Amino acid sequence: MSNPIVTARALAKTFRSGDGRIEVLRGVDLDVAAGESVSIRGESGSGKSTLLNLLAGLDAPDAGSLAWEGAPADAGRRAQFLGMVFQSFYLIPELDALQNVLMAARMLKPPDVAERARAKDLLARVGLAERTRHLPAQLSGGERQRVAVARALMNSPRLMLADEPTGNLDEHTGEAVIALLLGLCAETGTALVLVTHNAAHAAKCARGLRLHDGRFA
Amino acid sequence: MPWYLYLALKQLFPTGRRFPFFTVISILGVALGVALLVVSTSVMGGFGYEIRRMIVDTQGDVQIRARGFINDPAELQARVAKVPGVVATTPFAEGVVMLQCDRKPAFPAIQGVDVDRVTKVVPLERYIRVGSLEDLDDDSIVLSAKLAQSIGARLGSKVEVYSPLLLERLKSDEVLLPRELTVVGIFEIGHQQLDSSVVLVTLRLMQDLYGLGHAVHGINVKIADGLDADVAAGRINRALGAQSSAQARSWIEVNEDFLFVLQLEKNMIFFLLTFIIIVAAFSVTSSLLISVVRKTREIGLIGALGGKPRHVAACFCFQGFLIGFAGTVTGLALGFGALYFRNDAIRVFTQLTGSEEVLVRFYQFSQLPAHTSRGDVTMIVVCSVVISTLAGMLPAWRAARLKPVEALRSE
Ligand SMILES: Nc1ncnc2c1ncn2[C@@H]1O[C@H](COP(=O)(O)OP(=O)(O)O)[C@@H](O)[C@H]1O
Ligand SMILES: [Mg+2]
Repeated sequence: MSNPIVTARALAKTFRSGDGRIEVLRGVDLDVAAGESVSIRGESGSGKSTLLNLLAGLDAPDAGSLAWEGAPADAGRRAQFLGMVFQSFYLIPELDALQNVLMAARMLKPPDVAERARAKDLLARVGLAERTRHLPAQLSGGERQRVAVARALMNSPRLMLADEPTGNLDEHTGEAVIALLLGLCAETGTALVLVTHNAAHAAKCARGLRLHDGRFA
Repeated sequence: MPWYLYLALKQLFPTGRRFPFFTVISILGVALGVALLVVSTSVMGGFGYEIRRMIVDTQGDVQIRARGFINDPAELQARVAKVPGVVATTPFAEGVVMLQCDRKPAFPAIQGVDVDRVTKVVPLERYIRVGSLEDLDDDSIVLSAKLAQSIGARLGSKVEVYSPLLLERLKSDEVLLPRELTVVGIFEIGHQQLDSSVVLVTLRLMQDLYGLGHAVHGINVKIADGLDADVAAGRINRALGAQSSAQARSWIEVNEDFLFVLQLEKNMIFFLLTFIIIVAAFSVTSSLLISVVRKTREIGLIGALGGKPRHVAACFCFQGFLIGFAGTVTGLALGFGALYFRNDAIRVFTQLTGSEEVLVRFYQFSQLPAHTSRGDVTMIVVCSVVISTLAGMLPAWRAARLKPVEALRSE
């Protein structure tokens, strides 16, 4: 692989709850190339979210190594390097759509005019040009997820991690969000790791993986 | 503006919401505490200030007294006048007399003052309501307003004065008539105690009434503005020498116990009322804690967006600070507003309850005094802002401890 965005080797994660130990991941290897789209499927509880959190550097693996663009993953780079989309949209309720998108830029530095323009442009591209001043409570589920997608793309990340982004959406709306996600990632050359239950959605990705028993089957 | 300050502001004043309820309630809590502190320290300060002013206005800055009498006041005054910082001196004699007007008796304290010099030391003329101090001669008297009222004396009334000396002589069967004096002035200092039971006569008359000869009880000294009264008293004592039985004491020293009680009282009130702010701070803490719990997932998201825990903590601390700051500003406005309208408010209150007299009788002031010291206000501002910021600490710490992964998992 010429241009690896993510290089994960033998990632392992075990959770201890009370006396019990749950070995969720037992050695996951994953390479994602620049601009590549990868789908991950697996039963509920198979560790998909856990893996995504490890890839995002939000959680530390018990064993194994993770590199972002060839360099060890480091939380300080996260804001610039990757964007995330979740099943529940996690918009900040006190901020309107535009402010939510800008929040990603704000984590790096106070946004300037160019960034405001970019945020508006992103909202237009997810079809919310008219809704920039709406609060999350005033948006439908699909619209909220589209704001979340725009937010994830705000800092022009190299990698997009999406954890069941259609899980809270009806089929039709979900369809549209996935199309948008794939389209925008392809357009911007952003690598995409998509966790989904939906076989049709998974099929749209360049590569499909299945998590089973803590490994890729 | 860094993101955590921006988010703090937005959480307190959300976009598109006209009335942020939680925020307003929290701010009002702090504001009420601050307003109460401002009003009560100002009023306490006002009482203190008035009392100090009255003490200085009636006793002078420094008072010289001897064990017994000062037999040669002129010589002593001449010596004291040379002390640097001394502006003027005036001798006085004091005692108690029985006074009668139309068969109504009273037993006021009597002060014999040197009419030519007394106003250079204490601004008595400022308190004369009717008549004039200049008319005071050896056959006249100045009464306090309340006394005049209670015995029914007016300007020009004749009053009879019986001194202890007179009574002494009566015992040895001498027949002596009381001194008949004309009322030439009525003064009102504003302090109930002083107003109700003091009369002023000339020093000569007082010496005569008491058989003092040329002796006096003490000398009041006025010192230069800005000079510390204790320092001045020290200088005078050095000039008087160790052998002299006369001793100078500043008004601060003379009234030490009283002033101490006054200050203690004020400190206690400040201390107790600070608890109002602390209680308000607890409500700030609890509403911010609730907000941390409610916003657990957003805090997780902030982590996923790359926010550092210490910035998450700063976000909540800043909310506490903002509430404290806004509360303090509002509280100062409320407090000073209340002080501005205090006499109107009291008038309305006393009219409603019909208790006008009570105020004067118990608090000894005809108007509610207020004197706000800069130090007190600074103290209040610092206390309330610091306490409110501290109130944000616990929620901040909770928020910072949230791991993004766990925060995002909480459904
Ligand atoms: N913080 C945690 N503590 C204990 N168990 C956990 C924790 N996070 C995940 N798990 C467990 O790990 C397993 C995988 O969880 P998850 O990655 O969320 O699965 P998926 O996203 O594939 O449905 C589940 O059995 C879950 O209960
Ligand atoms: Mg999951």
